[in-house]
Amino acid sequence: MNSPIQHSDFQIPNSELPVPNFPFSRRRFLQTTSSGFGFLAFSALNTWAAEQAAPAVASPLSPKAPHFAQRAKRVIFLFMPGAPSHVDTFDYKPKLQADSGKESGRGRGGSATLLGSQWKFSRHGRSGLWISDLFPNVARHADDMCLLRSMSTELPNHPQAVSSMHTGSSQFIRPSLGAWTLYGLGTTNENLPGFITINPPLQGGGAKNYGSAFLPAIYQGTKIGASNPIAQFQQRRGGSAQAAISNITNPRYNTDAGRTQLNFIQSLNKAKLAQEGYDPQIEGVIQSNELAFRMQSVAPEVMDLEKESAATKKLYGIGDSATDGFGKQCLMARRLAEAGVRFIEVSFGNWDHHRNLSTALPNNCGAIDRPISGLLTDLRQRGLLKDTLVIWGGEFGRTPHAQTGDGRDHNNKGFTIWMAGGGVKGGMSYGSTDDYGYEAVENKMSIRDWHATLLALMGLDHEKLTYRYAGRDFRLTDVSGNVVKEIIA
Amino acid sequence: MKKSALAYCFVTLVLPALLPAKDAMTDEQANFFERKIRPVLAEKCYECHSAQAKKIKGGLKLDTKEATLRGGENGPAVVPGRPDESLIITAIHWSDKDMQMPPKSKLPASVIADFEQWIKMGAPDPRGPAAVAGANDAADSWKKAEINLEEGRKFWAFQPPKHPMSPEVSNKAWPKSDIDKFVLAKMEEKNLVPVPEASKLELFRRVTFDLTGLPPEPEAIKAFMQDSSSEAYARVVDKLLVSPRYGEKWGRHWLDVARYAESSGKDVNLPYPFAWRYRDWVIAAMNRDLPYDEFVRQQIAGDLLPYHDAVDQSKKIVATGFLAIGSKPHNERNPRQFALEVVDEQIDTLSQAILGITVACARCHDHKFDPIPQKDYYALAGMFLSSETLYGTSNAVQNKHPSDLIDLGKESRMIAGYEGISADERASIAAKVKQLNETRDEKTREAMTARRNGKEADVFKLLVIRQQTGDFMGSLNRYDESGNPRVLAMGVYDRKTPSNSAIYGRGEAAQPGETVPRGLVQVFFQDTPKPIEKGSGRLELAQWLSSKDNPQTARVMVNRMWRWLFGRGIVGSVDNFGAMGEKPTHPELLDYLATRFMENGWSIKKMVREFVLSSTYQLATQHSPQNFAADPDNTLLWRMNARSLDAESLRDAMLAVSGKLDLNPPEGSPVCRVGEGHEGIIKLFQINQQPSYSRSIYLPIVRDQVPEGLALFDFANPGMVTGDREKTNVPSQSLFLLNNAQVQSLSDAFAQRVYQSAKDKKTRINNACLLAYGRPATPQDQRAGRDFFSNYSFAAAKSKQKGADISMHAWSAFCQALLASAEFRFLN
Repeated sequence: MNSPIQHSDFQIPNSELPVPNFPFSRRRFLQTTSSGFGFLAFSALNTWAAEQAAPAVASPLSPKAPHFAQRAKRVIFLFMPGAPSHVDTFDYKPKLQADSGKESGRGRGGSATLLGSQWKFSRHGRSGLWISDLFPNVARHADDMCLLRSMSTELPNHPQAVSSMHTGSSQFIRPSLGAWTLYGLGTTNENLPGFITINPPLQGGGAKNYGSAFLPAIYQGTKIGASNPIAQFQQRRGGSAQAAISNITNPRYNTDAGRTQLNFIQSLNKAKLAQEGYDPQIEGVIQSNELAFRMQSVAPEVMDLEKESAATKKLYGIGDSATDGFGKQCLMARRLAEAGVRFIEVSFGNWDHHRNLSTALPNNCGAIDRPISGLLTDLRQRGLLKDTLVIWGGEFGRTPHAQTGDGRDHNNKGFTIWMAGGGVKGGMSYGSTDDYGYEAVENKMSIRDWHATLLALMGLDHEKLTYRYAGRDFRLTDVSGNVVKEIIA
Repeated sequence: MKKSALAYCFVTLVLPALLPAKDAMTDEQANFFERKIRPVLAEKCYECHSAQAKKIKGGLKLDTKEATLRGGENGPAVVPGRPDESLIITAIHWSDKDMQMPPKSKLPASVIADFEQWIKMGAPDPRGPAAVAGANDAADSWKKAEINLEEGRKFWAFQPPKHPMSPEVSNKAWPKSDIDKFVLAKMEEKNLVPVPEASKLELFRRVTFDLTGLPPEPEAIKAFMQDSSSEAYARVVDKLLVSPRYGEKWGRHWLDVARYAESSGKDVNLPYPFAWRYRDWVIAAMNRDLPYDEFVRQQIAGDLLPYHDAVDQSKKIVATGFLAIGSKPHNERNPRQFALEVVDEQIDTLSQAILGITVACARCHDHKFDPIPQKDYYALAGMFLSSETLYGTSNAVQNKHPSDLIDLGKESRMIAGYEGISADERASIAAKVKQLNETRDEKTREAMTARRNGKEADVFKLLVIRQQTGDFMGSLNRYDESGNPRVLAMGVYDRKTPSNSAIYGRGEAAQPGETVPRGLVQVFFQDTPKPIEKGSGRLELAQWLSSKDNPQTARVMVNRMWRWLFGRGIVGSVDNFGAMGEKPTHPELLDYLATRFMENGWSIKKMVREFVLSSTYQLATQHSPQNFAADPDNTLLWRMNARSLDAESLRDAMLAVSGKLDLNPPEGSPVCRVGEGHEGIIKLFQINQQPSYSRSIYLPIVRDQVPEGLALFDFANPGMVTGDREKTNVPSQSLFLLNNAQVQSLSDAFAQRVYQSAKDKKTRINNACLLAYGRPATPQDQRAGRDFFSNYSFAAAKSKQKGADISMHAWSAFCQALLASAEFRFLN
């Protein structure tokens, strides 16, 4: 408790105040409706208001019908900021191995030497997809995975490319993929936000990557987890602070006291609404308060990983120091997906391996391999994989030639993203880069094509999903983008 | 067969509905054409099938509606409602080998489907008989023809404001001023009747928040209620206008427009330790009512204006901070590209902020909608490329573009904003820099030798040295020889040798084209404005922007003020008056206000006073079913818009009612004191964990890290010009008000204050309402309060705080409930 504050002169007896034009006027209220007063009147009025302007009070988060059949009902996007090397992970380049050490004719000064991957690639699953030994566990899911090996993005700079991947624009502030999805489909769980991002990187555009820009703010992603640089730093070093929604628990009041308090707040709000006659803003406050209160009881439970069995935790690598951090985030993602959250993004680490590739890359892969494999297994076991789209990827790829001897530079012209579940063809590899992995050459897939395809998987036509802002109809894919039907199962 | 019969039925039954009468084209249909059809025609067909084609092929023109229907040598290109009979469909399907269009590549299936759908709709085509390349007609924006400035000048926003006479109204009693007559006339046209005026208490709370961002003090409420003279309200307004709190509220409005922040944002997000000086300049300018024309002039070219003394000069230089505080991509590798990005941000900000026109859209190509050729953009760019933008930051691995700051010197009589160090400490930093430089030279030599011998150079070590040198240089630059802090500022200077800019293809440094002379935006002038010959041209730009001859400057600002007081601009899109912006709801009123503003010597305070003294401002927020049915969005202003308190007012009000608000403006900013480099931001994060009791305008504003209590309540995104903040209503706001520990601690203070203000519950409840709502408690509040206390003690019996002082907890919970309630969060 704070020390008492003296306000001895602060006493205005009520009687001293003339109240001729008092704002809370029964008369005014009674003029606008013929019903009685109090809560009974409120409910009558509320019905009246609803009849008068039903669309204005309908929740913008209510589930909406997709444009066509939906393959994926929800998305889990595993985002790898910093740009992982594709030629060491999911884009097998035997010729690069063979020519390793030869001059590439590229790189700064043109004298960089080709650097074959030091990790072995093998074929996996019935489909025989080539996957690096850096991902022994993920590789077991080869027959569920669709490797998009011909990705390209506009610019080889992290912030622009991250922004492009998340919002379709490297230059302007535009709504993020998750916000568009929520705008298009609404959400099915009224007790949780529809778009959640776990540990988003602070750099590279920060909040705009899960923002709603000109879309109504209710579609923006709710950030959970470590949000300050210190905790993030710790997290990068393998720390695994429990992700949380800010202010989700009441530090002081238990549920009963909190509900008593909220009932009082809502009674004030309803009285205010009754006085105003009709006010969607106050109705909005009343609804938000209720969702917030419901979230308090639901979200901590959804986010409580202790509800999971030891076997499940083990599946995700929780408890093992290398995999504990990301394992928890992946398990959290599954719990949120199961609870009806529409779009979940989980970010991990820094993949900007200009140097120390030989140690840093296996460290990162080692930290995520079991958790991702666990996630895929778990989703499949629960029957969720068929309509949950899992995406793995970074903002671009890395050069086939060496930088500083043991590293690779940025490469935006060719890289790999993979997807699984949610209606994509498993055991498939789509498109390809040249012999070394410099550029996408076959079935080149731009970020806009990728976005168009993601929306299509969710039953949304990227040309029809528009929002009018500043006099123009905006789309996630702006004026281009083709749905790559070949990868849809 | 069955299927086609069904299809036939469908067509015959539905077709009439799909074929609207000629004049009945819906917006959707026109929109469909503009979005799906016209761009394709323009891009893929006009080259050979339009009046501009070098040789019209097959006698077919597709650039007007008539020509399209008439068709070419083979017959009509389009038969409305009959895709099968429309030759254009045959051609784009490539099904006839002799008629495959466009010849180079087949259109995507989705585009072909669009054409079919369009023809099925009846081929709605909003194009006139001869397409005119006028900027007025947004629909023509897709044409590749050159912008026609002559046509463009006819657009309303490029016309000087008229001096409209106030209209006649039937209700002579209601208007208090000409403003009201303009508003009432529109209402009377639609047979609307304004709602009654707000109660005295509502109005007092409204105007106190609107002018100072703070709730009314109980003493002031008492005094106002006891003053029954007709001048009572005007006296209150005058008092609020001279309060120093006014500048803190209205300064913040401008800071939204000026995308004020104390860090670089974008990729690396480096601190800008001296941005606060610009913030303080804006607050002071609002408080002393610096005329808006001068306010604009100083921000664009304060460094080039005449001055009386060093103090005056320094202030004017600080004003140019407006151009320096924008977000910048500090890790951009190419210096020219970096310069182009900085300039683009400056042009984008000033053109939206002052002109209400999005000039920056013309960076990569001619403006698609407004008559701004790309050439005009680079004429302005030349001015800013000829100016040096000074923002500070120190050399670092992620910062390829540090700059100097402006040393204003002691004679500026401004505070430094941070402490000095001893001369010894300064000397030791200088020594470290010297030593690092030596090490760097040595390591560079080693690295070069290694490379010559074909070995790997230790680049990493060099990077570390570079980073360390940058950090030390950053702090070294802050002090003079004796360790005294320098008085540093962000701002802009002219470069010694001005130069013109090339037109950069797609805005990329790698694609310079023809060079254009520095100059002003052509569409605003009847004749081509004279190119700039001496200096950067910023002075000429500033003079033109602040001139009475500029049609937009006054309009845009009065519209902003209207938005800040009424919740919606006369032009709703306050930052964009162009063809893609909204049209004014009251064009005559807008022009009247613009001319009035200039007649009033560009005094913002005088205009604010006129606004709040109008009957329009003093209306209640009351609902009226009749008016609502005719005008649900209240565009005709038949009532006052109920508005939510902005983030700063909400926070400041919580501090105020709890008695915790510290009204002394803090010196400088914490961002200035955490030091240089990205480390600074991390430190700042720790500092921000401490509660602050200053007014919100003084909280450090780091891009992408806006304090939670502000960010949650729709604080302006400091990355962009924001004249119209968002209005959201989301659960995270409720969670903050219900569960945030600082809100609860303020509720404790509020509760203590209320508890000690009286001996009995009834008076305490009354006083709590008075503080939070600016009105006494109603009988219903009393009843709800009593219910709460009895329910609460029951709940608390099972609560976490067994043995704690339940009554004080109850009072705190009660007070917090008021803070979280809609009435506290909204302004009637």
